[in-house]
Amino acid sequence: MSELIFPFVSAAIGIPALAAAAAAVGSDRRSRIAGLAGSSGAALCALETLREVHAAGGARLSEPWALGLFTADPLNATFLLLYSLLTMGILILAPRRDTSAKISAATLLVLAATLAAYGADNLLVLAAAWILSALPFILGPFTGTWRPRAGLGLSCVAILGALGVIAGAARDAGAVNPFSLAELQGHNFGGSAAFALLIIAIVCRKGIFPAHAWIEDAAEAGPVLPMCLFINGHLGAFLLARVVIPGFPLSAQGAFPILSDLALFTAIYAAVRAVAESRARRILALLVLSQSACILAGLESATQEGITGALVHCIVVAVATTGLFSVLRLMEVRFGRLFTSDHYLGLAEYTPRLAVFFVVCGLALVGLPGTLGFCSQDLLIHGTLLSHPQIGLLLPLATAMNAVSLFRLFSKLFLGTHRTGIHGISDAIPRERWVLSAIAIFIVAAGVMPSAVLALRRNAAQALNAPSPAHSASIARSR
Amino acid sequence: MTFTQSVLLAVVLAPGAVFALFSIFWLLGWNAPERTLTRVTASVFSISSIATAWLAWSMHAGGLDAIVVPLGDWFTVHDYHFPLVLLGDRLSLPFLAMTVILAGLIGQFSATYMHRDPGFARFYILLHLFAFGAMLIFSAGSFDLLIAGWELVGLTSVFLISFFTYRPGPVESALRVFVVYRACDCGLIAAAFVMHHLAYTSSFATGMPHLTGGDATVAGLLLLLSAAGKSAQVPFSGWLPRAMEGPTPSSAIFYGGISVHAGAYLLLRAQPILAESPIAAAAVVVIGLLTAVQGTIVGRSCADAKTSLAYAALAQVGVVFMEIGFGWTWIPVLHIVGHAMVRTLQFLRAPSMLHDYHQVHAAAGGHVRKTGEHLDSMLPLRSRLWLYRLAIDRGHLDTLMERGFVQPLVRVSLFLGALDRLGLSPAGNSNEPEPARATANDSATASKMGAIDV
Repeated sequence: MSELIFPFVSAAIGIPALAAAAAAVGSDRRSRIAGLAGSSGAALCALETLREVHAAGGARLSEPWALGLFTADPLNATFLLLYSLLTMGILILAPRRDTSAKISAATLLVLAATLAAYGADNLLVLAAAWILSALPFILGPFTGTWRPRAGLGLSCVAILGALGVIAGAARDAGAVNPFSLAELQGHNFGGSAAFALLIIAIVCRKGIFPAHAWIEDAAEAGPVLPMCLFINGHLGAFLLARVVIPGFPLSAQGAFPILSDLALFTAIYAAVRAVAESRARRILALLVLSQSACILAGLESATQEGITGALVHCIVVAVATTGLFSVLRLMEVRFGRLFTSDHYLGLAEYTPRLAVFFVVCGLALVGLPGTLGFCSQDLLIHGTLLSHPQIGLLLPLATAMNAVSLFRLFSKLFLGTHRTGIHGISDAIPRERWVLSAIAIFIVAAGVMPSAVLALRRNAAQALNAPSPAHSASIARSR
Repeated sequence: MTFTQSVLLAVVLAPGAVFALFSIFWLLGWNAPERTLTRVTASVFSISSIATAWLAWSMHAGGLDAIVVPLGDWFTVHDYHFPLVLLGDRLSLPFLAMTVILAGLIGQFSATYMHRDPGFARFYILLHLFAFGAMLIFSAGSFDLLIAGWELVGLTSVFLISFFTYRPGPVESALRVFVVYRACDCGLIAAAFVMHHLAYTSSFATGMPHLTGGDATVAGLLLLLSAAGKSAQVPFSGWLPRAMEGPTPSSAIFYGGISVHAGAYLLLRAQPILAESPIAAAAVVVIGLLTAVQGTIVGRSCADAKTSLAYAALAQVGVVFMEIGFGWTWIPVLHIVGHAMVRTLQFLRAPSMLHDYHQVHAAAGGHVRKTGEHLDSMLPLRSRLWLYRLAIDRGHLDTLMERGFVQPLVRVSLFLGALDRLGLSPAGNSNEPEPARATANDSATASKMGAIDV
C-alpha cells in the first residue's frame, strides 16, 4: 500500500484535539480563536490528504508510521475535508453566546473524534471514535432530553457489542489482526449477530425509523449548531459504507431490500411528519432525517449511480443543513427565542440576506435545479429506480413533501406580515455573511458544474460497488 | 460550434446571466438603480428577439428542420448521462420567440407599473430567472434539462405570487401553488426516469424515445399529470385564481402568456408518445374538455377582473389540450401563440378594465351583452341555480382536494407527531427553549420581543 508523505490524517485529528484541550483550559474570550486554529489546521491537513489521494489515482494510502491506525482513501478524504470546513464555518459564524470555552472545546472534541472515525483503519479505533464523538451529547455539555441520550447510548452499546462479536469470531478464524478493517473484508466475521448489531448502531445513529425521534428532540432541546454538526457527520452512513458493505457482503445482500424499504419509510415518515409540525427546529430536523434516509437508500441500491448520488447527497445534506440551522440560530439569537410556524413573522424585512441564504440552502436540500442537490437527487433516484423501482418512484414524493414543508417554514418565518416597532436588528454581519456566502456559492457553483464534485466521489463509489476479491470468494463459497 | 448554434445558446443563456449578475451584486450589497435594471432588461430581450427572428429566418432559408446544440454531458456516472443538448426546431422556436417578446414587453411595461415599489429589483431579477427557465423548457433537447427549466419556472412563479410579502394572503396562495406544482412535478420526474429505464435515454433532440403500448401509456399519463399541474387543468385548476395575488405584469406573463402554456408545450413535445397510447391521448382530451367547461362556467361568476381572465385563459388552454389530444400540431401552436398574446394584453389592461368596459358600453349605445348570455335562458331555472352554486365554489375542486387530500395528510401528520411525543414528559421538555444565557444583549432583544409576537 502507498503512503502519505506525512501522517496528515493523524495531524488532522490531533490538531483539533489539542485545540480542544487549549479551549477547555482557556477563557471564553479566546475559545473562538482556539476553535478556528483547530478546525483550520484540520482542514489544511485534510486538504493535503485529499490532494495526495487523488494524485495517487484514488488509491488507498496508509500513514508513514508503524501503528497504522489511520488510512486515507477516496471515501474518507472528502469527508475529512468537508467536516473540518463545516466545523470551521460554524465556529466562525456562531453567535458569541454559543462559543464559550466549554462549548468550543466540546465542538472540537466532536470534530477530532469524527475525523478519527473517518480515518480509522481499525474497527477498535472506529468504535472508540464513534463513542467519543457521541459523549458530549450523552454526558454533557450538549445533553438535552432523555431520548437523544438513549438513542446515542444504544448506538454506542451496539457498536461495542459488534466489536466484541467480530473480534471473537476473527480470533477463532485465526486472523492476525482481528480489528483490521482490511482483514474483515468479505469474511462475515461474527455472522448475523455482528451484522445485526452494526445495523442497530447505524439505525440509532442515523435516526432511521423507529429510532428517529431523538434527532428531533436533540435539535430542539439542545444547542442547535453542535447538534447540526453532529448529525452531519453521517457516521451511520459511513459505517455502512466502510464496514458493513465490504465486511458482510452476504448478509448485506440479503438485508439490503429490507433496509432500503426502512430507509424509504423513514424518508416518507419524516416528510409527512414535517407537514403539520409547527416548531422550526423540529421541521428542519425532520427534513434532515428525511433527506438522510435517502442517502441510505442510495448506498443500498448497489448501483454506481445510486452510490455516487448518495455520497454526493451526503455533502449536500451536510452543507445545506448547516446553512439552514445556522440561519435559524442567528435569527433566534437576534429575536431572542425559538420560532414556531404558527404565525407569519415577516422577518425578511429586517434580515433580507439571511432570508436569501435560507432559501438557497433550502432549495439545495430539496434538490431544486441550479444547486448541487438537483444533481445528487437525480443520481439517487435514478440509481434506486434501477435496483428498487418502488423506492425510485417514491423518493420524489418524499422530496416534494419536504420542499413544501421547507417553503412553509420559510414563508412563516420571513414573509406574510409587516412589523413595526422593531429597531436595531441587523442583517447578516460580515463574519456570518462570509460563511453563508461560501456555502451558497459552493451549492450553486457545484450545482452548475457538478463534475468536479462527482469526480471526488466517483472512485469511492466504484470501490464500494465493486466486489472485493474476498467478497467474490465468499459468494463463491456460499454457492 | 456554428454561428447559428452559438446564437441559440446565447439567446437561452442571456437572461440567466443577467439574473446571476444582478443577484450577486445584490448579495454584495449593491442595489441596482431602476434605470439600470430596465435598460439592461430592454437590451437583453430586444437583442434576443432579433436573434430569435434571425434563427427562424436562417432555418427557413437553409431548409433546416432543427438546430441542435450538443453541449456534452452535464455529468456522467457509469452508464448514466445527463445530456446537455439544446434544440431549436419548428415547435420550440415559436415558443422561444413568444417568451423573449413577452418578457421584453413586460419588462418595459413594469418600468412604469412597478416604479418606486420596494420590490422593484426583486421583480426584475425574478423576471430574468423566469425567462431563463422558460427558455430552458422550450429549448431543452432532453426531458432531464426540461425538468430544470420546469422547476425554475415553478419556483419563480411562487416567489412572484408572494411578491407582496407584507400580506399573508399572497404568501398563503403561493404555498398552495407550490404544493400543486411540487406534487405534479413528480409526474415529469417519474416520466423522465421511466424513459431512462425503458428507452435508455430521455433525450429527444434526435427523436422522441420510442415507447409503445403500456410503456407509452405510463409515460404519457405521467407527463399529462405534470402538464395538467403546470397549466392548471382539472383537477388542479384551483391554484390559478390564487396565483393572481402577484403583481399584474407577472400575472400577465405567467398565467396569460408563458407559464400556463408550458404544460401544453410539454404535451406537444411528447405527441409521438401520446400517438402510441390511445388511453393517454383520450385522457388529454377529457381533461381539456372538463377544464374548458369548468373555465367557462366558473369564469362567468367571478367578481374580479383578474380571476375572470384567469378562468377565461383556463378555458382556452383546455381547448388547446383537446387539440393536442386529437393529435393536431399546428392548430394548437397557432392557438397558443394567439391566445398568449391576447391574454397578456388583457391582463396588462386589467387594472383599467372597468374604464375600457364603460367606453365600449357607451360606444355600443348601452347594448353590450355578455358572451353566451342568450344560452342562459335555454336552461331551466333549477339547472341554472345548480350551475351557479357549482361556479361560485369553483367546481368544488378546491373543497374536494382539501377534504380528500390535504386534511387526511395533515391528520396523519398530527397523529404521527403525537406518536413521536409519546414518552416525553407532559411538561414537554422537548419544546422547552434553550436555557437562557444572560448576556448584556439579552435584555435588549427581550425588549424588542415585546413588539414581535412569536
